[in-house]
Amino acid sequence: MLERLMNIDRRIIFILVALAVIIPTFLKVSFPITVSEPTRQIYTHIDELPPDATVLMAFNYGPSSLAELEPMAAAVLRHCFKRGLRVIGLTLFPDGATLGDEVIKDIAEETGAVNGEDYVYLGYRPGRIQVLLGMGSSIESVFESDYADKPLREIPMMNAIKNYDHIDLVLDLASSSSPAWWITYTNTRYNQQIAAGVTGVMVSELYPYLQTKQLVGLMPGLLGAAEYEKLINAPEKGTAGMSVQSFVHLLIVALVIFGNIAFFIRRRKEQ
Amino acid sequence: MRRQVPLALCFIFGLVMMLAEFSPHPVSQGIRKEIIDWSLIIWPFALVLAVASLVHTHWIRIRRRAEYWQYSYLVFIGMIVMVVIGIPFGKRHPAFVWMFENVQVPMDATMFSLLAFIIASAAYRAFRARTFEASLLLAAALIVMIGNVPVGDFIWNKLIPFGDDLPSTARQWILDNPNLSSRRGIILGISLGVISQSIRIILGIERSYLGGGD
Repeated sequence: MLERLMNIDRRIIFILVALAVIIPTFLKVSFPITVSEPTRQIYTHIDELPPDATVLMAFNYGPSSLAELEPMAAAVLRHCFKRGLRVIGLTLFPDGATLGDEVIKDIAEETGAVNGEDYVYLGYRPGRIQVLLGMGSSIESVFESDYADKPLREIPMMNAIKNYDHIDLVLDLASSSSPAWWITYTNTRYNQQIAAGVTGVMVSELYPYLQTKQLVGLMPGLLGAAEYEKLINAPEKGTAGMSVQSFVHLLIVALVIFGNIAFFIRRRKEQ
Repeated sequence: MRRQVPLALCFIFGLVMMLAEFSPHPVSQGIRKEIIDWSLIIWPFALVLAVASLVHTHWIRIRRRAEYWQYSYLVFIGMIVMVVIGIPFGKRHPAFVWMFENVQVPMDATMFSLLAFIIASAAYRAFRARTFEASLLLAAALIVMIGNVPVGDFIWNKLIPFGDDLPSTARQWILDNPNLSSRRGIILGISLGVISQSIRIILGIERSYLGGGD
């Protein structure tokens, strides 16, 4: 019996995971969210920026991590637009170009932000680190036009924004090692303030930069999105997703505990 | 000659960029900016090379009837369809966006979502407290997993009369202390390795990037 339980067919586990996702989705259960300090630091930093400040958002993620990072992007964009901050969007990855364009357009439409006055979406340029370094001298030398191919010199908002000197915060929404590039090449060299929102599996890698203040804040995966939504009092996809994720985590924890109990019983019997 | 020229270029550009990083003089900064502009131009050529390499690899697979060679046709179909729509009509054309949102996004998201199922199954089978170190890892993982979702605090606050939000507080402590210190050690180790490897490449001691293995 014990042996059968320990070697349970993996398809049964797959069905349990599917049920842990499907049932809470339909029941729409929600739990109170405790905001962690690294997420609060980003919120506070953005909230304290002067009204004419500029936030650069890098949508460095693809469809595979869309579920975790897009709710973050939407929450921060809502906060920025409601505060009247100017937003520049870009991506260092080709997959992120359409995703960034869609989310920035959707939130701008919702909040009444105007393209070219309140925000500019620059899209993608190949080069990654070279793009970051190039923007230190001149944004226009890297992105001569926005995503809709309108030259930057014809965009009113960009008249006063030439390089990192005119950007108050960079928020990197990343599913890869791009936060480390921003820290190495723009924080260290240009003293640019950097914040990051990353997938859950990457969070632990960035804590050393948080302690050294090379990152002003850090949003951890879908939890970070839910925390930010709580801070701006606008529960959306992040909050809904956390309820589902709660049940899946509970299931995995239960499976691990159950597996270990069975393991210890078998070991005792063998001894 | 085929080796000397790339080695010389690597040495010159490596040295110039390294010095320019530490010199605020307008001349060195001008040179630095010029080299960055050059490298921005080189990148699109690298993309062309990547596409050529992809086409070559899959063409060979089809010719040799390698395992699952039929799927290589799908690579070509996907590439041709996106290029035929994307190049003449542009990246914001509804058809291009539709293909991206209704083909690539669901496929990528599905592949990534499978991880949840695999992780659950693997955790059940392999995550065992066999040794003291494994037990520590297991305890830390369980605390972080429970502290990372709001249901952890919810259950704790309902059942235990003391230590409000203890699961999320414990998770944060693990990330702020043991995780941070070990990560810093790893970062320092990697950085020292990168510095020494970079010096070897600039000085031409490490030549494997040229191909040939020596």
